[in-house]
Amino acid sequence: MTVKILLADDHPLTRSGIAEFVKREETFKLVAEAEDGAKAWELIQELKPDVALLDIRMPGIDGVTVAQKVKNEGLNTAIVMLTSYDAQQYVIASLRAGARGFVLKTVSPKELTTAINTVAKGGLYLDPEVASVMGEQDFIPEQLSVREREVLLLAAKGLSSKEVARRLFISERTVQTHLASIYDKLGSRNKTEALLLALKYGVVTLEELLEDD
Amino acid sequence: MRPRSHFLAFLLCALMLPSIAVVLVAVVGMASQESAMEAAVSSYVQDLAESMSYHLSSDADIWTFQILSDFSRFPFFSWGPSIPGWVALISQEGKVIASSPGAMNIATIWKPDFEIGKAVKVEDRQGAQYTIAVYPVKRPSGGYVVTAVSWPQLLGGLVGVVRIWPALIVMIALSSFFAIRLLWSRLVIPLQSLVAEIDNMTLGKDVPDMIEEGAVKEIESVQSALSRYAQAAVDRDDLRNRYVRDVVQAQERERMDMAREIHDGPLQDVTALLQQIHMTLEDDDVNDNARIRKTESIAKSVVRELRALCDELAPPWMDLGFSEALTELTERLSQAYDVQVSADFDDEIREVDIENEKILSLLRIIQEAVSNAVRHGGADEVHISVSRNDDDVLTLEISDNGSGFDSGHINHETLRVEGHRGLASMTERMSLMGGTLRIDSKIGEGTTITASFKL
Repeated sequence: MTVKILLADDHPLTRSGIAEFVKREETFKLVAEAEDGAKAWELIQELKPDVALLDIRMPGIDGVTVAQKVKNEGLNTAIVMLTSYDAQQYVIASLRAGARGFVLKTVSPKELTTAINTVAKGGLYLDPEVASVMGEQDFIPEQLSVREREVLLLAAKGLSSKEVARRLFISERTVQTHLASIYDKLGSRNKTEALLLALKYGVVTLEELLEDD
Repeated sequence: MRPRSHFLAFLLCALMLPSIAVVLVAVVGMASQESAMEAAVSSYVQDLAESMSYHLSSDADIWTFQILSDFSRFPFFSWGPSIPGWVALISQEGKVIASSPGAMNIATIWKPDFEIGKAVKVEDRQGAQYTIAVYPVKRPSGGYVVTAVSWPQLLGGLVGVVRIWPALIVMIALSSFFAIRLLWSRLVIPLQSLVAEIDNMTLGKDVPDMIEEGAVKEIESVQSALSRYAQAAVDRDDLRNRYVRDVVQAQERERMDMAREIHDGPLQDVTALLQQIHMTLEDDDVNDNARIRKTESIAKSVVRELRALCDELAPPWMDLGFSEALTELTERLSQAYDVQVSADFDDEIREVDIENEKILSLLRIIQEAVSNAVRHGGADEVHISVSRNDDDVLTLEISDNGSGFDSGHINHETLRVEGHRGLASMTERMSLMGGTLRIDSKIGEGTTITASFKL
């Protein structure tokens, strides 16, 4: 089965590089290229590609806004964010906007292929550079306790420790102990990384994160 | 400096005491003069009455002949005594037998129970005072000689002066009191408030308030000179601050532009280069794979360096909004310094819309604060809390558990001269945003930096 792909990036050199990657793969079909967000949104509506590779920083409408539009319109196009920046908040913002993949432009063709295939099948793909494990760790989702999972989800939604403590009827100190234990188990250094790793390992799902409470 | 109230006491004493002393001396003098005159008048009337009674007693003819026709022997009855007053001869029943001019009112003051032979002071119905003496005439038909000195006639105009005298003294005292009050309110108090103004004035920041109306001209001129001087200092400082702000602002804009240039230019180019390398590596006909791999790793490190450079100049991720940028920054700082940097903010902070330039300023302040806390204070925990009050004032509180310092002795100018621009530039950034920055620290108690500005 051929995956129809749209590519949007305002920088001609990187766009042509990525386009070349895509064209090499036989199961992929590059249906359109756009040099800004508005054009990308127009083409997505018109061509209904399976996967759209969107640069975050583009003139006019940025990639995250386009992803949000796709999500709001309920289109079936899976979004992969393509960016030069490794900021974890970009990942979070992209995921919140409905993107299912996040890759850096320095990605290798093999990884990009994996990313496109994963999101085309409805999966989630995060660039190893933004969700990397310190040291080699094998992780089984059950290693996180139910309470730890709850704490992580609430914290990931942006709630402060105080607020998490209030919602779960535990002390702030306990929340911090839980968070420390979560970081330790996942091998993460902070809340955002813990969340990205939890998503990657399937401890929490994207749907759970996006759920409003 | 507190107004010296004992100066007022001194002034009051200096001006009031002489007046009071004059009043006292006058009262004592008047009292002693009056008593001396009273003694003299008393003995005069007594002597006169006694001698008259003696003459009348020894002269039998006075009672047998028509005395009224022969008063020439008793000149007193014609002319009265030599001191203003009168003499009278009255019968046992109180009827006037003979009298000198002016004795008409004897009836109004005569009382049968007058003490004999002793001068007494009496008052007639009009309130005029008299000293009178009564002596019996030793004759079978009896009768009395009454002599009187009239005080109003004796003292004349002097009585009026004597009565006005205390009033004058009181007037002098009152007028000196009012003079002191005037001196105090028009000169001393304005002078004191002027001194207080100068004491409390921060040169370059404040212009003294105008003193209330009523100060003397000279003080008003001093005040207006001071105002001009203070205003000039304020203007000078304003100019300097504007200059510093312009420099900071220009620098910031330049950095943002440079970050954008790097992001859109070299970073993209090297990324494209890296993509080409990746594709070359995938081609099977590459002979020198090792060299290409080396090139790939160089290109990757250039990408990392360029990203770091962008972050340093103006991180592109601050476009995401304040709360996201704050989270990103704290996580990055935690990793960079290997300390715990946490941030707490309410849900509504997420909705706050802040311009990119302001976000950048806030990020820089946090960076500087964390860097100071770790490098100078040896802190391993820094907490940032963000709150917004009802007046739309956003407050950023950065507290650390470092060693702290004495924040009471911060002098930005000194720090600047010594090359420590951190604290000064934090303050400048906040004032650029129309906000304020406060540094609270004590040795051994960590440091709290509070930055607030109106949204």
